[in-house]
Amino acid sequence: MSGAADREAVFPTRQSLGLMKAKLKGAETGHSLLKRKSEALTKRFREITRRIDEAKRKMGRVMQIASLSLAEVTYAVGGNIGFQIQESARAARFRIRTKQENVSGVLLPTFESYLTEGNNDFAMTGLGKGGQQVQRCRDTYARAVEALVELASLQTAFVILDEVIKVVNRRVNAIEHVIIPRTENTIKYINSELDELDREEFYRLKKVAGKKLRDNAALDAEMKLKREEKAARELAEGQPEVQEDASGPSDLLAAEEDEDVIF
Amino acid sequence: MGMMSPRIPRFPVDAKYGVSYLEGIVRGYRNGLLTGANYTNLTQCETIDDLKLQLGPAYGDFLASLPPNPSTSSLAAKTTDKLVAEFRYVRANAVGSLAKFMDYLTYGYMIDNVALLITGTLHERDTRELLDRCHPLGWFETMPVLCVATNIEELYNSVLIETPLAPYFQGSLSHQDLDELNIEIVRNTLYKNYLEDFYQFVNSHPDMVGTPTAEVMSEILEFEADRRAINITLNSFGTELSKADRNKLYPTFGLLYPEGTLMLSRADDFEGVRLAVDGIADYKNFFEAAGLGGGSGPGNMAGGTGSDGKTLEDMFYQKEMEISKGAFTRQFTFAIVYAWVKLREQEIRNITWIAECIAQNQKERIGNYISVF
Repeated sequence: MSGAADREAVFPTRQSLGLMKAKLKGAETGHSLLKRKSEALTKRFREITRRIDEAKRKMGRVMQIASLSLAEVTYAVGGNIGFQIQESARAARFRIRTKQENVSGVLLPTFESYLTEGNNDFAMTGLGKGGQQVQRCRDTYARAVEALVELASLQTAFVILDEVIKVVNRRVNAIEHVIIPRTENTIKYINSELDELDREEFYRLKKVAGKKLRDNAALDAEMKLKREEKAARELAEGQPEVQEDASGPSDLLAAEEDEDVIF
Repeated sequence: MGMMSPRIPRFPVDAKYGVSYLEGIVRGYRNGLLTGANYTNLTQCETIDDLKLQLGPAYGDFLASLPPNPSTSSLAAKTTDKLVAEFRYVRANAVGSLAKFMDYLTYGYMIDNVALLITGTLHERDTRELLDRCHPLGWFETMPVLCVATNIEELYNSVLIETPLAPYFQGSLSHQDLDELNIEIVRNTLYKNYLEDFYQFVNSHPDMVGTPTAEVMSEILEFEADRRAINITLNSFGTELSKADRNKLYPTFGLLYPEGTLMLSRADDFEGVRLAVDGIADYKNFFEAAGLGGGSGPGNMAGGTGSDGKTLEDMFYQKEMEISKGAFTRQFTFAIVYAWVKLREQEIRNITWIAECIAQNQKERIGNYISVF
């Protein structure tokens, strides 16, 4: 992506490299999971959209029939019975239940309508005239309300799913286009920094080793010179003592080399 | 038959108007009713405004104040206003037994209004608001007084004192009944008493006995009684109305009374009702037509899904209109007032139906109106 600038502020250490690698792996798993979730939700969403379309068309038809049946009531009863109906209705006959449906972790409320049995508050309305029309009108309106409830249930699911799909897609996109590239960048950065450090270290070691070699050579030369001087002196006096001194510095050098390799 | 009676002119003989001024007026009103051709024009309308225009000649003044594309209910209200205005005019000019006859005509609407007020009082509504909903034909001067009542007992006493309906309450309903019984039972009890009283009135009043009025009105009221009995039976299936209570709601006259009503009171289903009315050719035909219309049971009556067959209710209306139309073939009878009101009501229903069909764009069943002219 936008190169070295887009990475996390971490110290380029091996520990953070490990962390980043774990993070990348997590991000990839999360991405594929979310992607699948989003697909499942979208599938469901399309299905709901289709059903809403159907329900709306059905609604139109049912409402048309219902309002015509109301016209029939007006015709048969020959007046307005609205007030009477309102007053004689005591308890709801048509009720709804809410349930929750789990679609890939999203809880969608669904409304289920049912009729309470034996609850017919205005069964006798229009007893002398138009009673059948009143009852039939009630039935057609019950059907209309049923369609309405179905539609309401679908619409609610539609709104919720729409919201959830947006959130999930935002997450998928964020992971895909921000988190993963950034983590990759960070890993790349850490790797390059670590390589750089390695190279520096190697160079330093080489330098140290070279210096030590040089120093040793100089020491050796000095030693040799001293020994030669001593030999020359011994030749004059005779006392072999310097050999212990030479083994000391050579041990030290070996230990330092070992440590460097570990580091 | 009526001509055999020695007493012929029964419309008020008034020095100013002469014989049968009101009969002339009512016949004029009858000629103003929409004809089959008018209805054909109405059904061709595409919008309510077109319909309004078509109704112009018949209802002009009354529809003038309606806004463009009025609702069907306001259309119905305005057309009813015309009927009410005309009825009030006739009533204002009526004297003597015609005045009494026309008062009887309003009692039916009054029962509906009182039932409305009872419902309102029972549910502790402000009954004053209900006055607007009352049918104007059933309006009586003391009706606002009933709104003062806050509980059902007060209302009951007010109704007894202030309305002509008192005899219909007395003996059949107590104030506890108003509280306990379903308002529909109250209404139908009152209506039964009213029909019986009306029937008694036209057959016993010295001005009407043996005249075409008694004859035509008996036919109309008998039909009305039978129709109510049949409807109550059919509509009571599946409700908590017991057979004994149902029996109390049947008017004690009519073509079906007493054998038919007895059988009706025992009927359990549509088939039982059909058997009960088997003795009367007209009703038998109605039931056969309705039975063929769409299967069995009372649910066969032109479902909301729109079967073409006439419903039982439609056939009853048709029959009522034919009787009403027939009333105009008689001279010197009050029955034409009743017939005219019924014909006009049907006309209003027809207009409302056609308007509904146009407004809802459901033209398939627009022809379901009933026209007899």
